[in-house]
Amino acid sequence: MSAASQTVSALRSLLSARFPERNRRPCGGVPADVPPLDEALGGGLPAGRLTELVSAVPSGGGQTVVARLLAATQAARQRIALVDGADGFAPGAVPDDVLRHLVWVRCSESAQAFAVADILVRDGNYAAVVIDLRGCAERALRRTPSSIWHRLQRAAEASSVAVLVQTTFPLVPAVPWRLVLDTPLSLADAAAPREDVAGRIAVRTERSHAQAAEELAG
Amino acid sequence: MKFAVLSVPDFALHSLRRGEPGLCGRALALVSGEGRRARVTEASAEAQGVAPGLAATLAMSRCPGIVLRPRDPASEVEAQRLLVAAAFTLSPRVESTDGGCCTIDLQGADPARAEALMRLRAAELAGAGLPARIGAGATPLLASYAARRADPVLVVREPRDFLAPLPLSFAGPTPEQEGILRGWGIATLGGLTALAKAEVGRRMGAEGVLLWERAAGEATRVLRHVEPALSFAAQWTYEPPVESIEPLFFKLRRFAERVAFELRGAGFVAEKLSLTLLLEDGGDHRREFRLPEPGADVEGWMRILNGHLAEVRTDARVAGVRLVAAPARPPEKQEGLFDTCLRDPASFWENIERIAAIVGDDRVGTPAPLDTHRPDAFSMGRPAEAVAPAAGPPVHPASGPTLRRFRPPWPVRVTCDAGLPALLEGGRLEGRVRGEVCAALGPWRSAGDWWKPQAWAVETWQVELAAGGLYQLARTDGGWCVEGMLD
Repeated sequence: MSAASQTVSALRSLLSARFPERNRRPCGGVPADVPPLDEALGGGLPAGRLTELVSAVPSGGGQTVVARLLAATQAARQRIALVDGADGFAPGAVPDDVLRHLVWVRCSESAQAFAVADILVRDGNYAAVVIDLRGCAERALRRTPSSIWHRLQRAAEASSVAVLVQTTFPLVPAVPWRLVLDTPLSLADAAAPREDVAGRIAVRTERSHAQAAEELAG
Repeated sequence: MKFAVLSVPDFALHSLRRGEPGLCGRALALVSGEGRRARVTEASAEAQGVAPGLAATLAMSRCPGIVLRPRDPASEVEAQRLLVAAAFTLSPRVESTDGGCCTIDLQGADPARAEALMRLRAAELAGAGLPARIGAGATPLLASYAARRADPVLVVREPRDFLAPLPLSFAGPTPEQEGILRGWGIATLGGLTALAKAEVGRRMGAEGVLLWERAAGEATRVLRHVEPALSFAAQWTYEPPVESIEPLFFKLRRFAERVAFELRGAGFVAEKLSLTLLLEDGGDHRREFRLPEPGADVEGWMRILNGHLAEVRTDARVAGVRLVAAPARPPEKQEGLFDTCLRDPASFWENIERIAAIVGDDRVGTPAPLDTHRPDAFSMGRPAEAVAPAAGPPVHPASGPTLRRFRPPWPVRVTCDAGLPALLEGGRLEGRVRGEVCAALGPWRSAGDWWKPQAWAVETWQVELAAGGLYQLARTDGGWCVEGMLD
């Protein structure tokens, strides 16, 4: 082990000993009731973490994930918030029953979405917060300072809320989990029950928690 | 302990200071008269070397930087209302005795609890910019003497011991009486009451008897009770109008403190707050806030008001502000054993208000579909406090990929082949949705409100593009559009 690595390791040990609460790992998760997604995440959206879901192709199933997550959180009697960056959520597309625990924020631009997400993630009353940035101006998203994401990550850790970030391209730096939807659904799925559609969503894991930890560790 | 007196020394000075943020901590004096005749009437502790009666010019030379102001009747009225409101939280029988003084009839109150409440009120009033002193005793007079010696609360249990060392001036002798008594070698109330009342009366007449009774704290009187506030509102006019929000914050906090006292005194809590900014151009900005939890918590109110005001932009300067609290009885409820309620209701509702200030009132909440088949018809409601258990399985379970709407819908040109959409193209859709349709489902036709001017009719299709992607198309009298993506 090099001298620099030893120094970093010693520094980490020192920080862990001095600030044990910062070293606490959130536990538990929020199942999305989308089998491929839950399997990739090891049981559901991890609490206290950001998870990025990249819809790399149109109709990859990202909105169905939101719909299933609404149903799953309702069944678990948890509260959920949807920060809708481009105002795309369609209440009529999901059963009425699964809307009653939802706080939907209809934003008109990504800056609003980030401001709102910062408030909601810190709130402490939500089990999950979905930040849907699909449809937001790509230039504005690419100019987002990485500090915003780090701030959200710290806030999520503190409040143990599961945060799902929906994007159309990889956006969140050092995100613990990045999953990619790169296979479009077909019109043949239109008549299938939604749980069957959810089971057919193709999820590819681009980054897992271990990889992110290694990246952060340098 | 039958009566209490709530008194604020230098009331006019404190009233002025609590109304203007810039005066806090500065040397301040009130003056009367104009020009060379202006004289100091009250001076703050910071005004070193300045005493009542001093010429204003001399005060400025003795204390550089001193702020000289005339009395402000509006501030004094507002401060007196705060004092009366605080008094009503101690007893329902209150007299607004004078500027900066209230007398409270405490008969029937539990002495220990009343004393604890008095200490609490004194601290709250001090926090609201009125350093009040509260004295309590067997008569209104004794209570007023106690208030003058209180720090900040004094309850007189042994009147004789308390009165004995007090200077004679407490009893308010005339100069002539004072001269006589000084000649007798009497300088304290105890010295006067040591004499026999009848002997004093024989030598000084009826006036002397009254003085003796005042010195003994025996003089009593009937209180002129005032009615508690029935409306919980406060209004202020700025002269000149203000352009920034800091003066608004400051004034609103003062209003909130007073209104909260008035509500508590009347046994109410606030369930809604109504804020009106009166603009210089004659217009106004109104906003109503439904409180997360009905209450009289000033800090909670201020967080909501500040969160809103921080985002408000008006076309003209603010010439006035009005705050109205809608009263309600304190909530008494018990949640169900298995209800999953909010962990932190105050934080939840405050954050909803903050978000509403960012995105707009109608763009945050819980959606509820309307009773119509019109596409994208829903209302935004107030989020529920408890997450209700899931209902049984739906009659019509959801099927297929979920629609994600484009708002507003994208206009598109659709070429049909044998009645089915075959090609999508359109200027707005370049690079987004364009291409050959490889599969289509539909049409689903719906119409409604045909008996109203807002009649609607739409034909809906679901298409799959050869290049990938499922889209929902709508055809109306206005042509085709892409309603959204099936995702």
